Amino acid sequence: MPLTIYGSPFSTCTRLVVLICKEKQIPFNFVLVDITKGEQKAPEYVDKQPFNKVPYIDDDGFALYESRAIARYLIKKYADQGTPDLIPSDPQSEALFEQGASIESFNFNPPASGIALEKIVKPLLALRTDEKTLEKRSVELNEKLDIYDVILGKQKYLAGNKLTLADLQHLPHGTLLFTNGFEDLFTSRPNVARWWNELINRPAWQEVTTYFNPVA
Amino acid sequence: MTLTIHGAPYSTCTRLVALVCKEKQIPFNLSVVDLSKGQHKAPGFVAVQPFGQIPYIDDDGFVLYESRAIARYLIRKYPNQGTQGLIPTDPKEEALFEQAASIEAFNFNPFASGIAFEKVFKPRRGLQTNEQAVEERLALLRAKLDAYDVILGKQKYLAGDQVTLADLQHLPYGTLLANAGYGDLFSEATRPNVSRCVCCMRRRPTWQDVLQNLK
Repeated sequence: MPLTIYGSPFSTCTRLVVLICKEKQIPFNFVLVDITKGEQKAPEYVDKQPFNKVPYIDDDGFALYESRAIARYLIKKYADQGTPDLIPSDPQSEALFEQGASIESFNFNPPASGIALEKIVKPLLALRTDEKTLEKRSVELNEKLDIYDVILGKQKYLAGNKLTLADLQHLPHGTLLFTNGFEDLFTSRPNVARWWNELINRPAWQEVTTYFNPVA
Repeated sequence: MTLTIHGAPYSTCTRLVALVCKEKQIPFNLSVVDLSKGQHKAPGFVAVQPFGQIPYIDDDGFVLYESRAIARYLIRKYPNQGTQGLIPTDPKEEALFEQAASIEAFNFNPFASGIAFEKVFKPRRGLQTNEQAVEERLALLRAKLDAYDVILGKQKYLAGDQVTLADLQHLPYGTLLANAGYGDLFSEATRPNVSRCVCCMRRRPTWQDVLQNLK
């Protein structure tokens, strides 16, 4: 039975899982959870995902949530097909991948998702932007990306000279900011710009965009 | 050459690495980085840890930072000694471990660390607590811990019935919050399953060793 992804096109985390399926050539069914109608809070959903978040997967009866956990599971399960080495197996390379993945989770994601919440999500929900929080998060993300520029001046990708899941983890929130008036974050720093330009133009990521925004 | 942890005894992230060393019976030296003197922003430090954060390790010339990455590296390097199963090897068990580790990173840590920052670290530096920020994070953390209580009503630990790194990851900030007057978050009256798990985790001799002896 093919993999089923329960998620939403509006969800950055759902897009990460779809991206991994495209990178690893994994067929999947997509079941829409309409978060605009609060379907993720329905009892039958919460039974599967107790934090009422999207996405979760059902892989032939095996249920899993948390997008980065799903990504890791799928990459390891389908190690021999699609884009190779998204999680290295050599111990030191793997450790540097874990370092890169943690950098994304704790240094990039909090300010990036914070900006996205204030500047993109809240207006869509007719909620007021907290300008102080937005300013704080913007300063923080700019400081972090200055450091990314140093790291990416010494190596091609975040974990070394090969692309890994750690780089891909930046695409959903990064693209949300990049396409909503924050392109300067990525284009104003030469090494970040080089790295970002390669990531955003990956065919698999283009496929994700097309998947959720099919051109008639 | 003995593993060196560059960090500070009171730092939650340093404590996680020290805990994993205790669990896996890995000898280590702690080289103290004095944050109050800005040693973490010195050029020599930033050359190694570009984000200017602690801890980082030097394992016989191999340098690594980000405490959860260090924890994973050490657990995988020493599979045959100390506590077993901290990162399962069976694919589905490993996936459930990753799910639990991610739960800690995104559903516990942001709120717990935010509260700790306002109520513990800011006062230490003579800065004023933002009480509204504390209240907002508490409300979010309570909702998350309600979900934890459901999960822990069905299984012993966060990833299943065996303790994993995902459970250990909660100890530094969990203990800090309990000691800062937020023990009711984990009390038997409010969340009996969380309470059971927290009590069990806090009593681990390895964690007590870190709390008492890390200098």
